[in-house]
Amino acid sequence: MVGGPQGGTHYEALGLDPRASAERVERAYRFHLELYDDAALATYSLLDIDEVRAARARVQEAYAVLSDPARRREYDVSLGVAPAGEPLLRFDSRQAARADAEPAPVHAAPRESLPEPITGAALRRFREQRGVTLREIAAVSKVGVRFLEYIEQDRHSDLPAPVYLRGFLHEYARCVGLEPHGTARAYLARIPKQG
Amino acid sequence: MTGALPAAAPRLRRQIWCVGGGKGGIGKSLLAASLGFQLARLGKRVVLVDADLGGANLHTCLGLRSPDRTLADFIQRRAERIEDVVLETGFPRLRLISGASDFLGAANIKYPQKVRVLNRIRALDVDVVLMDLGAGNSFNIVDFFLIADLGVLTVVPEPTSIENGYRFIKSALYRRLRAVAEPEAIRQLIDSALDPKNPHGIRSPLDLLARVEQEDPGAAPALRREIEGFHPIFVVNQVRDEADVAVGHQLVAACARHLGVRATFAGFVHFDDAVWRAVRRRKLFMVDAPHCRAAEQVRQLARGLSRGESLEPPW
Repeated sequence: MVGGPQGGTHYEALGLDPRASAERVERAYRFHLELYDDAALATYSLLDIDEVRAARARVQEAYAVLSDPARRREYDVSLGVAPAGEPLLRFDSRQAARADAEPAPVHAAPRESLPEPITGAALRRFREQRGVTLREIAAVSKVGVRFLEYIEQDRHSDLPAPVYLRGFLHEYARCVGLEPHGTARAYLARIPKQG
Repeated sequence: MTGALPAAAPRLRRQIWCVGGGKGGIGKSLLAASLGFQLARLGKRVVLVDADLGGANLHTCLGLRSPDRTLADFIQRRAERIEDVVLETGFPRLRLISGASDFLGAANIKYPQKVRVLNRIRALDVDVVLMDLGAGNSFNIVDFFLIADLGVLTVVPEPTSIENGYRFIKSALYRRLRAVAEPEAIRQLIDSALDPKNPHGIRSPLDLLARVEQEDPGAAPALRREIEGFHPIFVVNQVRDEADVAVGHQLVAACARHLGVRATFAGFVHFDDAVWRAVRRRKLFMVDAPHCRAAEQVRQLARGLSRGESLEPPW
């Protein structure tokens, strides 16, 4: 069969590193659900119906464990990627330490949402109220100042494809203390789809 | 047909890039022409080689009339040196070896001829040799793909193209495995694996490896090394939305998990009316519509490929 190793670790099943953040687990899970959708282009000619079903079940199984902090911790211990006998608290502090490796928010205030539709000007007003500069966002997010300006100026034709722009908007939102997913979605919704 | 292909020449600055894809009509030639154009603009000395023997039209993509000297002249020894069939394209640093010829369409070139062509192409004094491969997955085509430093696999987000893409990967990889496989029984097993209805139930390189490990564990490590060293690079052409772009990431994930092949996703090019308008005018869209989205994406792609960069998975 083409199914490949149905074994492997839960991390391998979702294409993840054992240190992956909870958010990453979530994204990988959603990606793999699409990969093993009955209509997915990439698996349609590669796997038969039973293999797709088995692959999907494997993804669900992995996600059930990795999305649950207590089960994930237990699993990490069984894999040997986390030492046994430590309290669950340790898991949480590791999560926090991990967050350092990823871009830390410039602004640590609770995440807010702007009313829709979200324009570049609205983003700029919010950012300025929070006292965050574009340079600071660029330093943390590694998104160039030029692109951050384009976002605020709604220069959509100068911005990269939505698949990249979404990431830029996530970073921007995180840095100014906005909820990333909703902000990116609302901003992207205003960009006319091009043929 | 015996013997392995000649071992790769020592790596100088020159690189060989191949643009393949299994299916016809998915934009391989346009992609090759536009990438070649862009690499030349970036200052590299580029020779485009139209290896789409029988369906050669790279010259038309570049706005040239049917050339009077082609690869066929070199193969049939009407031209002694390969340099004699290298044509100027009118673009600085970009030259072309055309494959346009009735002879090449009719005749399957023989193995020694192919080795001679490959060796001479390798010896060309340029920075990048960029080969446009024909449709299909015959030995003649995958052999070019296998000698490349960069093997670009073009797909469009359609089931037929993706099916052919996987078939191309398997043909190329099995060809590569066959060249190192010992003993004969293992070679026969690899040959049988190409038939999807083979009696061993082998449907992927991973299945094949498992089978070899059962039958002859000593033969497995060499095959495993070859599989690990095989890195096709996907480019998704003619995308229309984000879901089409995601197909590139899905292909990489599916290759890793279900074929055991470590592919990458270098980038994508949007479906763009400006491209076919340029084609109808027999002009390269990079020149005819340099500001269109497809042109910008090809520029990004050329940059990414030359730096060995690929798109990160979306998580």
